[in-house]
Amino acid sequence: MQNAEMGMTEKSTRAARGTIICDNTTMALLKANDYVAEAIRREMDRRGVLLINLTSSPGSGKTTLLQETGKRLKDVLRIKVLVGDLETERDAERLREAGIQAWQIVTGGICHLEGQMIMQALENISLDDTDVLIIENVGNLVCPASFDLGEDYRVTLLASTEGDDKPKKYPRMFFTSDLMLISKSDLLPHLPFSVDRAIQDARDINPEIECMTVSALTGEGVDAWCQWLIDRFAQKRRSKKPEKSYDVE
Amino acid sequence: MHEVSIIQSILRTLEKEFQPEQIRRIVQIDLEVGVFSNVEPVLLENAFEAVKSVTGKMTDARLHIDVKPIKIYCDACRETSLIDNYTFVCHACRKPCTNVIQGTELLIKRVHFSE
Repeated sequence: MQNAEMGMTEKSTRAARGTIICDNTTMALLKANDYVAEAIRREMDRRGVLLINLTSSPGSGKTTLLQETGKRLKDVLRIKVLVGDLETERDAERLREAGIQAWQIVTGGICHLEGQMIMQALENISLDDTDVLIIENVGNLVCPASFDLGEDYRVTLLASTEGDDKPKKYPRMFFTSDLMLISKSDLLPHLPFSVDRAIQDARDINPEIECMTVSALTGEGVDAWCQWLIDRFAQKRRSKKPEKSYDVE
Repeated sequence: MHEVSIIQSILRTLEKEFQPEQIRRIVQIDLEVGVFSNVEPVLLENAFEAVKSVTGKMTDARLHIDVKPIKIYCDACRETSLIDNYTFVCHACRKPCTNVIQGTELLIKRVHFSE
């Protein structure tokens, strides 16, 4: 078959299991998203589940990094992923092939994920056996910045191919992020990208932002990123609020 | 971004609050839009005109948009600084500060009705 000869895997557009269809999610109130996000946050706190909102431009390497993360942490953390895209199930399929339980949110035309979409998605999946829920947002540095999804941490990828001057060009995204991962670090020797400049740019906007470099391809920095997840999860479990019991035994 | 959805949200919010007879008498809607809200006032105006002409609602109303600049409050030296270049540092003591007290608003502040 021609595609196989060219070494290309056939792109899948079949509907796979694990699709979540979301209803119309336009907000009735301008602040509606924040209320929904708080409800998600409370539920994650109650369960002691670490919620990560992973954002970046299209093609920065979110899915590839999650594939590597899932492989390395499969016996360490129980990770589930909700991935958002305008169309296709490709990312969820790639993640499942890497052994990660993943569900695709197909937004149709909406360029970002909102709290209501996550809330609807959560109605379809069980979090009983989950340590970490990662939301892989739609590839977009603009709109997702304005939508709190109830996350504990927002992690933004900036690929070495994107240029070291991007943080200030997308201030709200970097202002609201906790960790900047400079991805595709294996390409740094071939690019004019200055890691120091990118970190300084991000820290001008957000002095507290943590920064790391990673290469999903070579593995550079991936262990440190995985350790970051393990540590944040441990912190979350330690701070898990005890369940209020209303049962009268 | 998403100015049309925001105008539609404003319309829905007002329709929840007020009767159709009152909606027809709206002459002005005062909005507070923070610079950090990623909403562009000119595009909001255009979207408002578009939504009005498509829905035929609030055709006598105009928008009044109060743009709020980004302000931070430094707990260390108790000074408020106006931030215009996305460098979040207190102007008085030069300490980094991300305590934003103004600039992320996106609200309906007041609605004006004709007699």
